[in-house]
Amino acid sequence: MINLDFLNPAENNNVLEQEEANEYMENLSVPTFEIPLVHNPVEFLKHQTHAAEQCRLSIVHGTTTLAFKFKHGVIVCVDSRATSGTYIASQTVKKVIEINPYLLGTMAGGAADCSYWERELGRRCRLYELRNKERISVAAASKLLCNMVYAYKGMGLSMGTMVCGWDKKGPGLYYVDNDGTRLEGDLFSVGSGSTFAYGILDSGFKYDMTPEEAYDLGRRAIYHATFRDSASGGIVSCYHVKQDGWTLISRTNVKELHYKYQDEPKAPLV
Amino acid sequence: MEVLLGIQGKDFVLVASDALAITSIVAMKRNHNKTRKLNDNVLLMFSGEGGDSVQFCEFIQRNVQLNGIRRGYPLSTKAAANFTRVELAESLRSRHPYQVNLLIAGCDPDTGVPELYWMDYLASLKKLPFAVQGYGQYFCNSTMDRYYRPDMNLEEAKALMKKCINELKVRFIINFSDFVFQVVDKDGIKEIKLE
Amino acid sequence: MALAGEDFCIVAADTRQSDGYHINCRYAPKAHQLSDKTVIGTSGFYADGLNFVKKIKQRMEWYFHQHDKTMSTTAIAQLISIMLYQKRFFPYYVFCVIGGIDENGKGCVYSYDSVGNAERVQYQAAGSGNELLQPFLDSQIGLKNRSNENETLNLTEEMAIKIVKDAFSSVTERDIHTGDCVEIYIIRKDGVECQKYPLKRD
Repeated sequence: MINLDFLNPAENNNVLEQEEANEYMENLSVPTFEIPLVHNPVEFLKHQTHAAEQCRLSIVHGTTTLAFKFKHGVIVCVDSRATSGTYIASQTVKKVIEINPYLLGTMAGGAADCSYWERELGRRCRLYELRNKERISVAAASKLLCNMVYAYKGMGLSMGTMVCGWDKKGPGLYYVDNDGTRLEGDLFSVGSGSTFAYGILDSGFKYDMTPEEAYDLGRRAIYHATFRDSASGGIVSCYHVKQDGWTLISRTNVKELHYKYQDEPKAPLV
Repeated sequence: MEVLLGIQGKDFVLVASDALAITSIVAMKRNHNKTRKLNDNVLLMFSGEGGDSVQFCEFIQRNVQLNGIRRGYPLSTKAAANFTRVELAESLRSRHPYQVNLLIAGCDPDTGVPELYWMDYLASLKKLPFAVQGYGQYFCNSTMDRYYRPDMNLEEAKALMKKCINELKVRFIINFSDFVFQVVDKDGIKEIKLE
Repeated sequence: MALAGEDFCIVAADTRQSDGYHINCRYAPKAHQLSDKTVIGTSGFYADGLNFVKKIKQRMEWYFHQHDKTMSTTAIAQLISIMLYQKRFFPYYVFCVIGGIDENGKGCVYSYDSVGNAERVQYQAAGSGNELLQPFLDSQIGLKNRSNENETLNLTEEMAIKIVKDAFSSVTERDIHTGDCVEIYIIRKDGVECQKYPLKRD
């Protein structure tokens, strides 16, 4: 747009205000991304990042995360390993993203995708709060995230996340992924080790567990996933979402859990 | 791997949708609702690409509702089906077409005439007396051909539906465990149990 | 690589620039000073790295003129993450680490992947030698899987510099892309010092 403000000197003092307003509008608008000027950007990116292409640009992957609802709220447990190819890029990743004091998001898939979009979600939740003078519901928050990533469907984003929190309707748990799928549920596990975690969770889950039993179930499920899935490992973090927000319950090294569980007798079957 | 079924009877349409939500090899959820109410007498059922299906159907749902509010009377089943077809056909010629297969079941609230429409992701729309979407087509279409009559009452339609579901349980590799059954008649849409 | 001590931080990078088996340049600095509290080290595609650093410096200057203060290390850390993610669909082929002093006067290191996943760590190696370097740092600084694992290492500046020099001379032995010279930036409360230490040139 051509700036013709100089033609009307009387309104000049508004220019700064206008610029400032524009700047604020820019800050509130949707982020934009640069797209390579090639015929097919999606294929181009795949060529640059895909493991088959000698892993020219590696993006951090590999995870086990889980979350479930029970009598006393929502439990969220995650491992902390990030791998790129077969190399362990980090053993200390924070895979639970603290969106705000009553909303948690988990990280599986591309680490940068998850942390970027959940940070953006946090910003939008705060804006919602300021505009509506009340906290956003878990359903609405997860739908925001879902709509954001759906706009980039097919562009190569990789994200499998669970949005957990507590709102007027009670505990909330939603699964959102990069296809734009969004599911409400009581128990989810996401990531390369999720099937192993499901094996422990489904067999040990009881709705009226005590919180301590629930923490142990969550940690155990992640532990067993790290045991069988080489892309999971490191430290097991456990969070509990209650009516008044989330609390961090524990961060335990898998090694400690291994020695702890090793000496315990196997659980009775009948 | 999703299945949608619909049977049009004398003055109702009986529909069933599986309740399974799948990502890769994992069943994430066994009580997933794959239907949206377009208005009091028209039901839209969807299967297809995750994200696309919900996004498209909610878009259709909101626009049909808006249309009802603007005009003061609800869209007929035929109008809703054709509106949906046009939207899907336009999307088909875009860069990112919606990958979604649909069944639309409705019943005229005044005359009580039931209607069932079948539509695939290429936006071909067909009005059918009975319809199946997904792999269920291979198992249930013959059963329906054999037993279907246009003047069936609800009990007979339920019996036919039971035969179809049973066939899926016996022969299809996926264990759906649960289906959602709904009846659309001139009084509206309600969920029922088959027994 | 970068590592953080209690009240100081070190960022070090070798200066070889190569393309496959061919060495293009023996002095092409990969570590750049961003402010008197922050230094960045880049590796990967050299041109992308230079351009990325240039853009960070530009954004920092805008910030300076707008807010009349220099960007803090933590703010730069978040900026870098966002700038890298802005190019999510056409990434900078750059693996960077930044080291500096945070608002509380503590040494800090942030590491990134090429699309902006950031993590605050105590030490980090990045680039072609990272698979050789990182385990060495895990053992010497992280004390991982050692009998004294639970003790806290009281890392002094002299020790840290010694470890950095050892690390680089060892990696030069085994990685063809590393060598010639290492630049060691030491970031303290009162400013940044740069030391050069020659490496084998073969």
